[in-house]
Amino acid sequence: MIITRKHVSRRTLLRGVGAAVALPMLDAMMPALSFGGSAMKKVSPNRMAFVYVPNGIDMRNWTPQATGRAFTFPQILEPLAPLQDDLLVLTGLEDHGGEALGDGPGDHARASASFLTGVHPKKTAGSDISVGISVDQVAAQRIGQATRLPSLELGCEDGHLAGNCDSGYSCAYVNSISWRTPTVPNPPEVNPRALFERLFGVGDDAGDPVARARNARLDRSVLDMVCDDTKKLEAGLGSTDRRKLDEYLTAIRQVERQVQMAEQQSRTNTAAIPTMARPDGIPVEFSDHAQLMFSLMALAFQTDITRISTFMLAREGSNRPYREIGVPEGHHGLSHHRNDPVLMDKVARINRYHMEQFAYFLRKLKATPDGDGSLLDHTMIVYGSGISDGNRHNHDNLPVLLAGGSRLFRTGRHIRLRDETPVANLYLSMLNAMEVQTDKLGDSQGRLNYLDELT
Amino acid sequence: MRRNTSHFEGLRVAAIARTVVLTISLVVGTEAGTAQIRAEPSQAGFDQHVGVFVQQNCAICHNDRLKTGGLVLTKYHDTAAMLRDRLVWEKVVARVRAGEMPPKGLPRLKPEQIAATTNWIEAQFDALDARSKPDPGHLTAHRLNRAEYNNTVRDLLAVKFKPAVDFPADDSGYGFDNIGDVLSVSPVLMEKYLAAAKKIASEAIPSGGVPKPTLIRYSPEHQPSERRLTLEHTFDLPAEGDYDLHAGISGRKDEAFRIEMQLDGKPIQASDIVIDEDKPRSYETHLHVVYGEHVLRAVLIPREATEAEVVIAQKIRSSDETELQESLTAHPENAAEIKRQHALSHPAAYVDAIDIRGPFHALPPPVPESYKRVFICDHGPGQHNAQCARADLSHLARLAYRRPVTEAELDKLLRLVSLAQHDGLAFEPSMRVGIEAILVSPSFLYRLERDPNPGDPEAIHPVSDVELASRLSYFLWSSMPDDELLCLAEQHRLHYPDILHAQLRRMLQDKKSEALVDNFGGQWLELRNLDSVHPDPDEFPQFDEQLRQAMYTETRMFFQSVVQEDRSILDFLNGKYTFMNERLAKFYGISGVTGDEFRRVDLDGTQRSGVLTQASVLLITSYPTRTSPVLRGKWILENVLNTPPPPPPPGVGSIDAQGGVVTGTMRQQMEKHRANPTCAACHNRMDPLGFALENYNAIGEWRTQDGKLPVDASGVLPNGATFNGSAELKKILASNRNAFADCLTEKLLTYALGRGLDGYDRPAIRKIVSTLEANDYRFSSLITGIVDSTPFQMGRGDGGNIK
Repeated sequence: MIITRKHVSRRTLLRGVGAAVALPMLDAMMPALSFGGSAMKKVSPNRMAFVYVPNGIDMRNWTPQATGRAFTFPQILEPLAPLQDDLLVLTGLEDHGGEALGDGPGDHARASASFLTGVHPKKTAGSDISVGISVDQVAAQRIGQATRLPSLELGCEDGHLAGNCDSGYSCAYVNSISWRTPTVPNPPEVNPRALFERLFGVGDDAGDPVARARNARLDRSVLDMVCDDTKKLEAGLGSTDRRKLDEYLTAIRQVERQVQMAEQQSRTNTAAIPTMARPDGIPVEFSDHAQLMFSLMALAFQTDITRISTFMLAREGSNRPYREIGVPEGHHGLSHHRNDPVLMDKVARINRYHMEQFAYFLRKLKATPDGDGSLLDHTMIVYGSGISDGNRHNHDNLPVLLAGGSRLFRTGRHIRLRDETPVANLYLSMLNAMEVQTDKLGDSQGRLNYLDELT
Repeated sequence: MRRNTSHFEGLRVAAIARTVVLTISLVVGTEAGTAQIRAEPSQAGFDQHVGVFVQQNCAICHNDRLKTGGLVLTKYHDTAAMLRDRLVWEKVVARVRAGEMPPKGLPRLKPEQIAATTNWIEAQFDALDARSKPDPGHLTAHRLNRAEYNNTVRDLLAVKFKPAVDFPADDSGYGFDNIGDVLSVSPVLMEKYLAAAKKIASEAIPSGGVPKPTLIRYSPEHQPSERRLTLEHTFDLPAEGDYDLHAGISGRKDEAFRIEMQLDGKPIQASDIVIDEDKPRSYETHLHVVYGEHVLRAVLIPREATEAEVVIAQKIRSSDETELQESLTAHPENAAEIKRQHALSHPAAYVDAIDIRGPFHALPPPVPESYKRVFICDHGPGQHNAQCARADLSHLARLAYRRPVTEAELDKLLRLVSLAQHDGLAFEPSMRVGIEAILVSPSFLYRLERDPNPGDPEAIHPVSDVELASRLSYFLWSSMPDDELLCLAEQHRLHYPDILHAQLRRMLQDKKSEALVDNFGGQWLELRNLDSVHPDPDEFPQFDEQLRQAMYTETRMFFQSVVQEDRSILDFLNGKYTFMNERLAKFYGISGVTGDEFRRVDLDGTQRSGVLTQASVLLITSYPTRTSPVLRGKWILENVLNTPPPPPPPGVGSIDAQGGVVTGTMRQQMEKHRANPTCAACHNRMDPLGFALENYNAIGEWRTQDGKLPVDASGVLPNGATFNGSAELKKILASNRNAFADCLTEKLLTYALGRGLDGYDRPAIRKIVSTLEANDYRFSSLITGIVDSTPFQMGRGDGGNIK
C-alpha cells in the first residue's frame, strides 16, 4: 500500500475557499493526512519519539558484550532481537542534570525532569518549578505546525497534579518528561479513549476511515441546516441580537470549512488507513494498556496527525506491581535491590516486560509501509531511562537505545561511547535529522558522532 | 472578574457608558440618564436643598477645576440636570448619608442637615419614577454559559457527564459569567459544541454491546502533611458483572492498621496490615456488582501492632534511620535541609488510590435513561418506525428550544435523519444526527427573545409566557424549564401572579435550585476563587484540601439554608448559626461535633456569625502567608456595600513591594502606608473594615496575637463610627440594613437578568428593597420582588434607550 499525498498547504486550501487566515483544525475530525510537508518532494516526513522507563535497569542484563554489528542480545533486550538491523544500542551516555549537584536526595524526580531537557531541575515542591525545554518540544515548536497536533504526550500512569513527590521535588517533575517551556510541563494522556477521541473525534465508529468520511458529510448537512435556521431567526431580531447571531454564523462557517477539508481529504485517502475500534477506557492489564497506547501512537504517525511524541511507560519512581509476570512487589521498592540477586532478577523481569511492549510497537511500525520503506524507517525512537542502576541511582552509563530511523542513521550496531557523553548530544543529532537546526540543548556538547559512521 | 471596558469595543456607546458607571464609582457625569422629565419641579427647592448644600459642603473639592475623584458637583443648576445623572446622585446620597462625605477635616454635618438634603433628593427620584414611563431594558440574545449548558443537557437527556468542562471559560461582566452581552461564540467553541453534541448523542443512543474490562482509578492529590486515612469515590459502572476493587496505600512510617474496604457503605473486606516499605501495599477484593453508581471507600483504622510486627517496624525504622544518617554524614552542612527532605519523603501512611477493574463476565447494560428520553414512543430498540422519529424529535426539540417547534423546523430535522439513513446508517444512529442538529442549533444554544418591534426601544411589552419560563428557570436553576413550567407557559397562564408565585415556590424547593447557590452565591461571595488560594504550607501546616473543601461546604450550606428556609438576608451579615463537620469544628475550636457529616451548629457565644467570619471568605481575602486588611476591606465594600473602590493609581506600591525592614504588626505597617495622602483617600474606607477581621489569620483561624504582638481589631470608619472587633463592625453594617439590601438586590438582579444594570433600573431596585423591608428581609421576598419587577417581566426593542 502506498499513501498518495496531496501536497497542498493548509493556507492554500483556505485561499481557495476565500479565507487568508490560518484556522484551528477541528477537534472532531481527523485529516487522513496532514496538509504540511515541504514543497513538492515526494518523501515521507521524519518522526521522533521518546519512550521512558523508570527506576533504572538491571544493567547486567541490558548491555551487550560485543560492540559493532555482531552483538548478541542480553535477556532484557532479547525481545528486540528480530529487529537488530533497526537498532543502535548506545552505551556510555550520561544525564548529568540528574546528579545531586549539592541538592541531596531526589534522584527519581531529577532523572525524569532532566532526561529530555539536559537541565538540572530546580529543587522545589512548590509552584516555582523550573527545568528546561525538552527535545521533543524544541522540535514541536519548530516543525509541529506542519501537523494537526504539534506533539503527543502519552503515559500509562496517572500523575498527581501538585505537591511533593520525591524528597522535596514537585510532582510535576515525575509526571512529565515533556516540557513546553522550562516551567510548563506537558502532562501525558493515560486514557486510550480520551487519546483516541483527541486523534479521531468522538463517535464509536470514528476509528473507521469510511465512517469518518460519512461523518464529515453528515456534519456538513447539520451545519447547513443550522445556518439556514439562523438566517430565518435573524429576520425578526434587533441589531444587537442580530450581531450575536452573526458571530455564531461566522463560527459555524469556519467550522464548516474545516469539515469540507476533512471531506476532501478522506475522499482521497481512506483506503490506506486501517480501521481501529474505539477503546473503552484504560485496559486492566498493563500490556494491553501499553500496546493500545503504542498502537494509537503508531496510527497518529501513520495518519500524520503528529510527527513528535513522548511516552512514559510508567512514572519515575513508580511502585507499580506486575503480578501478571509473577512480580507482586512494587517496582520502585524492588529497584532498591541492595544487589540481592533475587530482587535484581525481578527487576530484570519488569525491564524485559516493558521491552516486550516496545518490541510490539516497533513491529507495528515495521509492518506499516511508508513512502519508500516502512514507518519504522522514518521514525527515530529513543528508549531509555534517566537512571542506570535503581539501587545506586547513578545517572551515567544510562540504558539508552535508538530504534528505527534507518534512513537517517546507520542502525544495527552496539556503540560504546566515551564515558559521560551527554545524552543531549544524541538529541542534537536527532533534531538535525528532523531538519531542526540547533547548536545546544541543555548540557549538550555537540552532536553525537558515530551514528552515521560505518563500523 | 469585572470586565474591562475595552472588551466592549464595537458595542453601542450607551453600553460603554453603562459599564463605566457601574465599574468605577463616581465618574464625571455620563449621559446615562434616561427618562424624560415631563414636569419641572420648583427651582427654589433645588437651590435650597442641593445648590446651597453643594456650595457649603462639596464645592471646595468637587468643582470644575479640581474635579476631585473625577466628580464635579458645581455644574448642576437644576433638578432636571441632577436627574439626568441619576447614578451619580444616587452615590452622592449614599456617601453623604453614610457620613463618608464631607470627609474628615471638614465641618461635620448635623444629622438633620443630612436627612433634609438626602431625603429631598430621593423624593425627586421617586417623583421622577412615578411620572416617567418604566424602561425594562432589552435582554441581548444569551448564549448558554458552561454551567447552563451542562445543566440543560442533564435535564434534557439525562447525560451523566458534563460536556462543558472542555469548553473555554466564559467571560464575565459585572461580576457574573452569565451576561448576555459578554458571552460570545468563537470557532473553537463551535468545534467544541459540535464534538459535545456528538458525544451526547452517542451517550443517549449507545451502540449496544457489552463493555470491555477497564480500569477506573481515583487518586487525588496528596499533601505530605495530609493524614488521609479514608478515601472514597463514586464510580459509575457501565454494566453488571464481576469487578476487582482495589486500594493502594502510600507513605512509609511504620504503623499498624486494619484496612477496610466498603462498597455503598457496607464492609466487604478487612485485613490487618503493617506499613512496610518492601511489600506491595495494595489490597484487592472481588465482587459481583450491578450496573450504575457505587461508592467505594477504603479506610485505614490504626491499631496496636503485634510483637512480631513491632520487630519488623523497628527494622524498617532503623534502615530509614541509617539512610538519613548516611546523608547527614555526607553533607553535614545541609543537616537542616536533609532532615526536612527526609520528613517530606517519609510521610505518614495514607490511602493513595482506589480503583475498580472490570467488568468481567459482564451482562448487557440496561437501556439508559437518556435513551428513554429520546425514544418516547416506548418501543423497544429495533421496533421504531417513521412516526416515532417525528414524535421523538418534536418532543426533544420543544424542550431543547424551550418553546413550541414549527413544522418547518421539524421537517428539516427529519430530513437529516433520513439523509443519514440513505448514507447507510441504521435508524438509531441516524437519530443521533437529529439530536446533534438540535444541540448545535441557535435555538438551543441561545436564549432568544422576540420583540414585536425589534428596532424600537420605545416598544415596551410584557415578555411572552414561554420567554418568562426560560427567564425563571435560568435564574433559579441555571437550566431549561421543565415540562410543567413549559406547559403552563404554552397555555399562556404562567404570568398570572398566583400561578407564577406557586411555580417560584416549587422551583426554589427543587434540588435544581442549588444552581443558584453555586452560580450566584459562588460568584457574589467569590467562593469560586477558593481553589486558587494556596496558603503557605510552612506557615499553615494544618491546612489541606479536606479543610478547603469543608470551608466551601460550610458557606455553600449556609447560603442554601437562607434560600431553603426562607431566612432573612441579614443572616448573611450576622446569622448566629452555621454548618460544620468535625474537621471544621476543630479548626474553629468548637467542641461536640464528631464525624464527617456536616450539621447545623449554633454560634451563640462564639467568635463567628454570618459569612464575613466564615473561613472561606477569610481565606480568599488573604495572601499565602498573611492576612490582608485591604483585600478584606475591599471585599466588604464590593460585596456588602456595593461601593467598590477604584483600582490603585499607577505607580503606587504595595507594602510588600516597598522593601526595607518590615517591623511591627501587619496593622502598624499599613498605618504607615496610609500616611501617604494618595493612598489614604481609598484606604481610609477599605482598611478599617479589614482591621475588624484581624482576629482571624490568613486561613481564618481565631488569633489574639499577630506574631509577637497582640492583635488590634479596632477601627474608625470615615463617618467617625468606631468599633472594636468583627462583632461590632457587623452591628454597624447591619444597622444600615437597606445599604446591604440594595447591594444584594443589585447583584441578584444583575444575575437574574444576565445584563448590567442601568439608571433606568433604579426604580425597580428601590421597589424591591422596600418590599424586602416590609417582609423582614426574607429571601423569598427578594426573589419574588425580582421576578415581579418590570425588568424581569417586560421587554422592549433594541437600539439605544427610550427617549
